[in-house]
Amino acid sequence: MGRLLLVFRLVLGDLRRHPGPAVLLVLSTLVATAVLSLGMSLPGATERLYLQTRAATAGPDVVAVAPGMSRAADTALRSLENVPGVASRSRTYRTFFTPITTGGREVRAAVLGADTRPGPIDRPLVTSGVWVRPGGVVVERGFAGALRLRVGDRVTVAGRSFPVVGIAVTAARMVYPWATMGGPDGGPSDQSGLVWLHERDTRALAQADVPVASLVYLRLRDPAATAAFRAVYHEAHDPAIRVNCFTWPVIAYQDSVYLRDGQPILIVGGWLLSFMVVAGLSTLAAGRVAGQTRRAGLLKVVGATPGLVAVVLLTEYIALALLADAAGLAVTRLVAPLVVNPSDSLLTTGAGPSGPVVVMTTLVAVGVAVLTALAPVVRALRTDAVATLSPAVRRPDHLVLLSRLAGLLPVPLLLGLRLVARRPGRALLHAGGTATTAVGLTVLLMVDAQPYRGWDFGGVTMADLMDDRSRLLLLGVIAAMVILAVVNTLTMTWTTARESRATMAVARTLGATPGQVTAGLATAQLLPTLPGALAGIPLGLFMQWLFGHQNPPQPPVPSLWLIPPVLVLATAVLAAVPARVSARRSVAETLRAEAA
Amino acid sequence: MNVLQVRDLAKRHGRKDNLVRAVDGVDLDVPAGQMLAVMGPSGCGKSTLLHLMGGLERPTGGQVWLAGERIDTAGERALARLRRRSVGFVFQSFHLVEELTAAENVELPVLLAGGSPRAAKRRARHLLDQVGLAHRARHLPWKLSGGERQRVAVARALANEPLVVLADEPTGNLDTAATNEVLRLFADLRGMGQTLVLVTHDGRVAASADRLISMRDGVFVEDTWLGGRTGQFDGLFAMGD
Repeated sequence: MGRLLLVFRLVLGDLRRHPGPAVLLVLSTLVATAVLSLGMSLPGATERLYLQTRAATAGPDVVAVAPGMSRAADTALRSLENVPGVASRSRTYRTFFTPITTGGREVRAAVLGADTRPGPIDRPLVTSGVWVRPGGVVVERGFAGALRLRVGDRVTVAGRSFPVVGIAVTAARMVYPWATMGGPDGGPSDQSGLVWLHERDTRALAQADVPVASLVYLRLRDPAATAAFRAVYHEAHDPAIRVNCFTWPVIAYQDSVYLRDGQPILIVGGWLLSFMVVAGLSTLAAGRVAGQTRRAGLLKVVGATPGLVAVVLLTEYIALALLADAAGLAVTRLVAPLVVNPSDSLLTTGAGPSGPVVVMTTLVAVGVAVLTALAPVVRALRTDAVATLSPAVRRPDHLVLLSRLAGLLPVPLLLGLRLVARRPGRALLHAGGTATTAVGLTVLLMVDAQPYRGWDFGGVTMADLMDDRSRLLLLGVIAAMVILAVVNTLTMTWTTARESRATMAVARTLGATPGQVTAGLATAQLLPTLPGALAGIPLGLFMQWLFGHQNPPQPPVPSLWLIPPVLVLATAVLAAVPARVSARRSVAETLRAEAA
Repeated sequence: MNVLQVRDLAKRHGRKDNLVRAVDGVDLDVPAGQMLAVMGPSGCGKSTLLHLMGGLERPTGGQVWLAGERIDTAGERALARLRRRSVGFVFQSFHLVEELTAAENVELPVLLAGGSPRAAKRRARHLLDQVGLAHRARHLPWKLSGGERQRVAVARALANEPLVVLADEPTGNLDTAATNEVLRLFADLRGMGQTLVLVTHDGRVAASADRLISMRDGVFVEDTWLGGRTGQFDGLFAMGD
């Protein structure tokens, strides 16, 4: 009990005393776990949503569609119940392909005749309002979202105005905007939305000679045996009547097209973000090693065993990692529906990270925390207690020439260059992080330069949800990159300032002003920023060429040239904050603390 | 009875031309209740001697016995237990845990030793009261003056009623007033029969001890009995070679 209290006290005390590094650690880990859990949630996500929707709406195993509404088509559709493996079929429904008008826009739609009480196969789930009744129209949820339709709005179908009485989802159609499913001619189909009208209200459409297709829903004895059904059907069907059979795996596959297009963005973005997270966390860990090792020494002096010291240090990092992990998973829970179901045509109750994904990201977060805490823990275990109480002196054994060269420069550059010379690896990491951000910004500018075409709905242009989704994903990845770049710049400046506190205090005693010290610390961050930003632009163009559209637009050269100065300016502003705080610290206090 | 015994104790750093003999084969007995001061110039090895006697550093040769138990060969866990139960440290730089309040710092060794939170709190309250800092119990170390911090450090060192308190330049960072406060505290401890070993530069501190050892280049050059309450001085010491 007493030890638990002690560990809790020490963890809480350290978090209170050093909230900055804790926040940076949580932010970095949060972004990493969010991207990781989102990336791991994507494979099969749409299929899972489709299956949930299918279960909730008694979705058919096969949707058989025949052009027209002839007797021969009806006979061919009815005869499907005799195909081996078919357990039952629905009655024959008609789909009319006619524009609907709403808000002054006439858009292409598939109008499906429906019963007041749906049959046992395909029972669309009403998510708002009520199911179809004479004189009222129900709009498929994805289509309603695109048209911004709500229950109570009015829609005109073939010259007759109907109130929207409900909004529903179904698994018997492909998601918006692929509701046509073969269309009146059985084939290739245009983009359109789906509405349901009562059977009685569709009679006017039938008499008006509107293009039409007939369909039945089939239930198989073994829903998994769709391939066997197709093989038997192809052997037995009458070639004079063209019947398209859409099995549920085909519908599920078409629904997942949204995801396939955006996957490269998340995969490549994930790599780049991972690099930035590793760069930030390793810097943060390096910056805390000295303090944590000293803390371990203090505890050892009063009798803490190495095991207890390890528990204290690890608990803090693991607690922060778990907090960040929970927040990252919550972000994924919120964002996942937008990514896997942008049309909103499927139910999204289970769009969040699954159990295995939660376990995996938590393991990764805890693993990162353990690795971050490992250096001070190992030092605490291996070093004599008294040795940990004295700050280790780091010999600037690298790039001595650079340090000598710095002597010829103005004071801020001199200080900055010497700081870079002390930690050349960190400067490389910073340059890599800046290059990564520049890659992201270059790709963003290239995508922005592509003309936005939208979806043609018969003269009306609707939002291209696939393109929108890709841009949203890209924006999300770039936003995460910018957050990490900000976190990393603050972390690196803070760490450099902390490690060079004594050196800078000595420089102050030799006549350097606080302004020069601030400028020196900021310069240490700026020196790797410029080459990183310059290298990121061609890399970004290469990425766009590798993963982007086949016909890339002309690079927006003036905007691209803005990237390096913007990144340098942003780095200067960000680095100035911790640098200034550090430079304003009392010299005497710093020297006293270092001597202690 | 000797609380501390040191035989042929040595601590060497480096090799050949760079060999530094921080402590060079010293013998020492510290009887219970004795207040021993070790003086010497900077770098003579007195702090290293203290660290070796408290198990904070491992010797390169010789033996250290604490209350009849040999500690120079003990494992890290055993040393931790020893520091918890039998030794209290006071440092020049205080070395308080900065994120814990004064009371929590004093409670720390009790909790580490497996004491209940209630017992730790009671002990901390008693000790802070003894060192005159009951009113500062809830303050973080940085809010305390140097003298107050050192008194908290002394209270922490006494938390588990150690056999010996080892103090390394306890007044080195203090002004005159604060030095006097700490000296009064040590005098009280001495009066209560607490065994104390002090390493100091300060003649006033050394003068308050029962016994004074002078050190130079890692060896004892003088061992003086200054009188005092215990009278157990047996003069066991070794001159370095």
